[in-house]
Parts: sequence; structure tokens; C-alpha cells
Amino acid sequence: MIPRLSFALCWVMLSLALLFLFTPIVIVVAVSFTESAVFSFPPQGFSLKWYYSIRNADGLLASAWLSAQVAFISTLISLVLGTLCAIAVVRRMVPGGDVIATFMASPLMIPGLVLGIAFLQAARLVGLNDAYTTLLVAHVVLTMPFIMRTVLASLSMFDFSMVDAARMLGCSYPRALWRVLVPNILPGVMSGALFAFIASFDNYPISIFLVDVHTKTLPIQLLNQLEMSPDPTVAATSALLILATVLALIVCDRLVGLKRMTTI
Amino acid sequence: MNLVATEAARERAASANKRYLDVAAVTKRFGTATVLQDLNISVARSEFISLLGPSGCGKTTLLRLIAGLMKPDGGRIAINGSDLTQVPAHKRNIGVVFQNYALFPHLTVEQNVAFGLEAQRTPKAEIGARVQNALALVRMQAFAERRISALSGGQQQRVAVARALVVKPSLLLLDEPFSALDRKLRETMQIELRHLLRDLEITSIFVTHDQDEALVMSDRIAVMNEGRIEQLGTPDEVYSAPASLHVLEFVGQSTRIGGTADASALNGTASVETPLGKILAPLHDGSGVSGKVVLGVRPECIALGERPDANFNEISAELTDIVFFGSKTALHFQPPGADDRIQVEVARVPSGIAQGVALKLYWPISETMVYPAP
Repeated sequence: MIPRLSFALCWVMLSLALLFLFTPIVIVVAVSFTESAVFSFPPQGFSLKWYYSIRNADGLLASAWLSAQVAFISTLISLVLGTLCAIAVVRRMVPGGDVIATFMASPLMIPGLVLGIAFLQAARLVGLNDAYTTLLVAHVVLTMPFIMRTVLASLSMFDFSMVDAARMLGCSYPRALWRVLVPNILPGVMSGALFAFIASFDNYPISIFLVDVHTKTLPIQLLNQLEMSPDPTVAATSALLILATVLALIVCDRLVGLKRMTTI
Repeated sequence: MNLVATEAARERAASANKRYLDVAAVTKRFGTATVLQDLNISVARSEFISLLGPSGCGKTTLLRLIAGLMKPDGGRIAINGSDLTQVPAHKRNIGVVFQNYALFPHLTVEQNVAFGLEAQRTPKAEIGARVQNALALVRMQAFAERRISALSGGQQQRVAVARALVVKPSLLLLDEPFSALDRKLRETMQIELRHLLRDLEITSIFVTHDQDEALVMSDRIAVMNEGRIEQLGTPDEVYSAPASLHVLEFVGQSTRIGGTADASALNGTASVETPLGKILAPLHDGSGVSGKVVLGVRPECIALGERPDANFNEISAELTDIVFFGSKTALHFQPPGADDRIQVEVARVPSGIAQGVALKLYWPISETMVYPAP
């Protein structure tokens, strides 16, 4: 009786969760194809005009390009610095490695608003007036926890005697790292990088304090757009973002396998 | 090990190159702790030597120093006359089978074995054939395409051996390679590996804390303790003539009886006063012992009953336990006034004995070992 009940409950919970996750996506995608000029569901008719209007909408493409740049560059910087830092921590090359690792992952536990205000004041204090640079620095801090956590997890499961084995078989130390360490931690590193990129790309609470009139990231621009002219252009933009995310997941699956990425 | 094999091992050690691997006055410190102090050991060509000792005795450190994965703080390591002390690990051409095998999970069995050949830039045409040969040696050809995670522990070990041997190393180091296998498989693999390495005539150094493993596999055993080699000898020598109390305790079963030796050793025989009475022991190197001593006897030397003549020691003790092992039975005795129990091994339990009875025991004086008490 009990097992059957819990089994049924399990399915109910799963269905509810799926419903909860998919409904907004379905609605947004559906609305993006509407003919009507208002944001209403169910959509009326079918047209692609809101997709064309993205081009004409004020600053939407520019902000998308900026967000992509900031997300890509900050993830790349975090990837290099975070991986080296994680190796140093796991191999106990520095004293107090655990404290360092916790500190590097701490931005994840601090509310974004607090971080945003802190970055704004810090930037003023050191006289950093360039919004682009400030955004980049803030997003390196923001993406670092994602990289650190996944790389640390991959490294803790990596058996470093494999590096010794590669050396005894004729590989110099750097070459052994490249031939044995890198392929084995790559799935974890890739998943960390993907999450970091997404976290940076859709960040609102930190970025809102650091943008200026000419430098606006996509989430902020979208909200502005929604306030000023609430038409389905926003829905079309969102639908494209969903498509891009799905494509990114498929590419990652082909490269390293989603299963391996999510188990780490 | 039987006498013929011992003789063969001796001959092999004596002939050709006695100092194929030469470790001279090697010292290794970690911070303020000295792990190895002026350690010397020479290994003959195609000899199989075990480094046997408890954990923390420095045996793994010595292995890593020979491999080049660590640098010594002093001393010299040479193979076949060429000094390797300053040569980095990847240029030493030494094969290692690691404790957990350290196989590469992102590669197949075949790719694992080919790894060393590729790293040493062996011509492509040659690699395929050599990999197949190596896999054939360990009977793993059928698994060439498999992933490492799809192999059992014993199969993984075979692959690790093939991977180490395929590059034709000048020396093979084995770091407790059997510790992850269950007992039955371990015994099979020990014999199999021993035969393989003997056929290939490859010089091997084998690190283990398992005395049975060392006795079964080795030409010679180096018993280590606290960074020193306490005894280096054939399994027979190490077992029947332990050089120190530590070696006696570490290798094989034994009964230890404390006592006080009489200062006047009579024609090479020490007379020791113990709680069980007077026990005689031969002194081999002529050096007399006096004061507190520990006597040692192997369980298979002790027999039940009264001694036939004066060439035997005799005591009496109470039988406390009968432990059945199948091929043999161990009888445990608790002698009066002694802490250590006495172990006796018999093939069959004689009729009419039971726990709680006092029995007489005897063993040859020549089989009694005596060491200064620690």
C-alpha cells in the first residue's frame, strides 16, 4: 500500500514540477508568434513580425551583444583563474586552501543586491568610471563560484597517481597534465563554464547598479522595454534565448555528454 | 620456498650483474622527519626483490625515489652503471604498476597500453603489434576495445601490467598491486605475475606489507623498519633466521618468550631463565647475549609430548584453544607466568586432548632464536 502510494505521489510531484517549469516557456514562445500588438494569451493568428521588430527595437541587439561579450569574457577569465586556483587547493600547494576555496565560492551565498551596491561603491572608491570594465570585474566574481565548485568536484574525484603513471610512461609533467588531467576533468569544467555563462548572461541584481545609459545588459534592457512598450518583441527575444540555450545544451551533450556533466 | 628454487635464486643473483640497480646512501627527509637514512640496496639483473614492512617504514618512499617521482636529499641511484639521480621520471624508462593501477578511464584498454609507446614516439606501424603482444602476455586481447570501467579488478591489474611492460622498461616497480583483489584472485595473480616476470627476466621491485605475498613471490626480501633495511635475504633465510626481533615478529607466526640470559654462554649456547623454566638457544655469530632477552620459536617446530633427548627444550603449558584451519590445526597454549601464548601447528589433533589440560611441549634447541629484549 505504502509503496504504491509513494509511487503515485512521486508521479504527481513530477507532473506538477514539469508543468511549473514548462508553462512559462510554452506561453512565452506562443505569444512571440501572435499577430496582436499586446502581450496576451492565447495568441491570435500567426506572424513573425515581432522577431523582425527585435532589430528595430531600441538597443535590444546592442545589449544582447554586450551581455554575450561580458558573459563570455568573464567566464573565460574565471575558467583559467578558477582551474589553476582549484589545482593549488586540491594539491595543497598553499596553506589554508579550504578557506580560499570557500571564499572564492562565497558570492553565491551573498544576495546580488548587496554585491551590486558593494561593487558600485568599490568602483567609485578606486575611480573606476568605465561601466564595461566594472561589469566585467563584477561578473568574474559572479562566475567564479560556478567554476570553482565544479572544478574542485572534478579534481577531488581525479586520481593524481594517473599523472604519475603518465610520467613513468614518458610524458613530462606539463604533458602528463594535458594528456591525462585535462580530458578527465573536462566534463566538469564544461558544465561549470556553461552554468557560469548563463548566470552571467541573465544576471540582473548586480548589473543594475553598474550599467549606464550606453552600456546596458540584455536583462536590464528587456525590463526597460517591457515598461516602455509592452509588446511581444520581448517574448520573441525570450524565445530566441530559449532556443540558444537548447542549442548550447545539445552542443555540450555532443562534446562531453550531458550525463557526465550533470553527475559532477 | 623449496631448496631447488632457493638455490636457483642464489645462482641467478650471483651470476652476471649483481648490482644492476644500485641504491647508495640514499636519504630522504620530509620537513624535519627523516624517512630514509643512508639506505643501501643492490638488486641483481632479473631478480625479484620485495620491500616488506609495516606502513610508514619508508618502502613506498624508496619506490618513488627509484621511480624518480621524488628527489632524494642525498645519495645516488643507478641502473646498469648509469647514474639516474638527476634524470627526471619520464626519461628513466622504469615501469610502475600502481596500487590502484592508475589506468586512464578516458581511454580504452588498447589506448591505455599504447599510451607509453605514443609518448615515446614509437613508429605507428610498430605500436599496434606491440600492444597486441603485451595484451597477449596478460591474456587480455579479447578486451582490447573495452573501457577501463567495464573491467573487473583482476582484469584492470593485467592491463596495468601490460601497460608497464609494453615499453620494455629497464626495471619494473610494483606498489602493493594485489591489495585491491580478494584473497582467492590474489593468490592466482601472484603466481601468474611471478611466472610472467620470470619468463621475461625483468628486474622487479615489489612493495608490500603482506608477508605471505613477499614469501611467495620473491627471490630476496628486504625487511624494512623505520627507514632502515633490517634484513636482506632469501625468503627461507628471512623466515628461518630472522636478523632481528622485528623481522621475527613481522614475518610469519612465532612464539616469543621473555627471559634473562646467563652471562656465561657455554660452547655457543645461551642458557635463558624464563617463567617456563630454563630454555637453551644457540648463538650463531658468536656474540654473547646477556641480560633481558626474547626467545622465538616457529609454531611448526614445536611438537607435543616429552622430549626424546637433551637436544630439545621442553616446557609444559595449558591448552586454551584449538583453532581449525583445514590443512592444519593451531593449538594455543597459555604457559604459567607468561603473557604471550604459545602457538603449535599440527596436521591432525591427537586423540584424547581437550581444552584445559596441561601438556608437555618440546622443540629442537637449534630452532630456538634469541634476541636482546627491546
